[in-house]
Amino acid sequence: MTERLAIPNLGNYTVALAAMTRAMGAEPWWSTYTNDHAMALGLAAAPESLCLPFKAHLGHFIEADDAGVENALMVNSIGSCRLNYYREMIAETLKDMGRKIRVFGLGFDGFKPPVIRYFDPPRIFFLRTIAMALEKVWTIDAIELQTAYTRAREVNTGETSLLMEQCLRELSEINTKKAVKQFHKEVYQRFARIAIDKTRNPLRIGLIGEVSLLRDRQLNQNMEQILGHRGVAIKNFFLLGGEIGNNFGFSLGNKKNTARHLARVAKPYLESEVGGHARDSVAHTINCAQAGFDAMVHLCPAGCMPEVSIRPILRKISEDMHIPILQLSFDEHTSILGVVTRVEAFLDILWTRRRKDLRDFGGRRVK
Amino acid sequence: MKIGIPRAFYYHFYPGLWECFFRRLGCEPLVSSRSTQKTLEAAAHRTESENCLPQKLFDGHALSLMESVDALFVPRIHSIVKAHNCCPRFGALLDATRAGIARGMPLVSIDINETAMPLSKTLFRLARQTFGVRRKTAHLAVKEAFSVMHRQLAGEATRQQKNCGQPKLLILGHPYTLHDHFIGEPVISKLKQLQIPLERMTFEDDNIVPGDILWCVFNKMYRKLQRTDTRACAGVIQISTFNCGADSMMTERFRRICRHKGLPYMLLMVDEHTGKTGLDTRLEAFADSLSWRQTEMAK
Repeated sequence: MTERLAIPNLGNYTVALAAMTRAMGAEPWWSTYTNDHAMALGLAAAPESLCLPFKAHLGHFIEADDAGVENALMVNSIGSCRLNYYREMIAETLKDMGRKIRVFGLGFDGFKPPVIRYFDPPRIFFLRTIAMALEKVWTIDAIELQTAYTRAREVNTGETSLLMEQCLRELSEINTKKAVKQFHKEVYQRFARIAIDKTRNPLRIGLIGEVSLLRDRQLNQNMEQILGHRGVAIKNFFLLGGEIGNNFGFSLGNKKNTARHLARVAKPYLESEVGGHARDSVAHTINCAQAGFDAMVHLCPAGCMPEVSIRPILRKISEDMHIPILQLSFDEHTSILGVVTRVEAFLDILWTRRRKDLRDFGGRRVK
Repeated sequence: MKIGIPRAFYYHFYPGLWECFFRRLGCEPLVSSRSTQKTLEAAAHRTESENCLPQKLFDGHALSLMESVDALFVPRIHSIVKAHNCCPRFGALLDATRAGIARGMPLVSIDINETAMPLSKTLFRLARQTFGVRRKTAHLAVKEAFSVMHRQLAGEATRQQKNCGQPKLLILGHPYTLHDHFIGEPVISKLKQLQIPLERMTFEDDNIVPGDILWCVFNKMYRKLQRTDTRACAGVIQISTFNCGADSMMTERFRRICRHKGLPYMLLMVDEHTGKTGLDTRLEAFADSLSWRQTEMAK
């Protein structure tokens, strides 16, 4: 029997990551969101003042170990954020608990990451499966974008969310690149079949902040759906397809999203790299203000080092460019009701603002 | 020109350097007075509520200077030791201060990035370009500022290493928590009052081996803990501040090392409401258990 590998959650993109895991000849252990049980395990085991994504990942791996999974994979970055040390910290915590699971790092551990060396997949099979997985990433990008568009305009509330789930489930079972491409085309047709109200003019809100919070719907209390069902067209700024391009220095169609371009946009307000996606958050806020978005929602885990330190900057941009920003921070005590109340109050203000047409900023006007 | 230097973060990283440097350039440096509860209260209404305690104190210090100076000195700090980095907060410090509490205030600034350029060169450029002084004056100013700083750091280090024949208690923390009058001083003065020989962590040695810890301050603490002789060290007290992200990560690791070496370890978390009594009680209890342990070991 092949060994299993637990991979971290990255929202819906976990479907593609699971395919990449199969490329290494390992059986993935994954879920598209952290469930309550994993969260409880993580909370019990993690030091209290660490951020929410750490607790979620730790809980996820503990659950994997309980299920008898032998290996786990954790991302590590080279920035100055805490994330840098999470792999080691998780490995040590699990070891202290007397658990057997082996935690591999990903990325900057050398030319050939140890995890690939360990599983040692046949080269051609590996490359072919990775190509298929990348195709899945683009497909999920499409699903995400279609969902955001349709959900805000759907006639029967909830239909889009169901279709999204359905698409992801089907996508996770496809095994060839050709079939994925075929499915990618099909996605557009399927979403087009949902009845939408074209006369509706939804609020446009950009979601920025920390990656796990943007993508894991357990951690952000399903923010996308909360907003979508209240008639808001959201733009989530973490799309993995775009992100892969940014990290390797080339742009995939959208030149405005490369790290270099974002740095240039953010420069009047933030000149240096902060860590995490802080600079991107600043740049996206400026871009959205110029593109005539109605508002931004900034999500970060409580005590997140980079995202909290740029909050005064976001507030300044909000004042200068007349774009309201709702700053939400999440921890394990955050309840969905509290979040919904705040979001609803925020949306009320935005609708009133639109009716009075208070936007004196000369961006593109939503008709 | 009056330049305000908040008595926070970088003031403690480079003790004595900034005052001397700016004085030699013909400016009048003004360092804010020591932190008190008042500093924090002044900042409380203006600062980000989720900031860590040292950042709140920094904001308080900056606010207290705003009235009386022409410009504030706030650098952007990427790395203070070559090939290492700092807390991400320091990268955004300048821009956040400009957008937040010191809005509309002229700021004098440099990029402290030892990995790219040594600080002496950065300071030289600041003197030449911003203050327009002559090459020689700039050179002398930098040289003297550094010698003042090195003297202070070396003095501190020798004072710490003085042998008193008894095992010492090691106090760990950031330079800006250990030397702060609101965070570190109450702990140290209480320990002195209990007549416990102690050693405050010093950071004068920049020749550190790049390891897996990229935060330079923590790398230094880590090396220090690894090198510590268990016979010469009675125990370790880690001063941490509320909502410090880096501490939350590293204190677990330090605790692990201490457990491994058999050293008593205590984590003191300081927040804005820290009552003196609670602190006293914990320190007294820790001191008691240390002394029992020593008598046990002597038997």
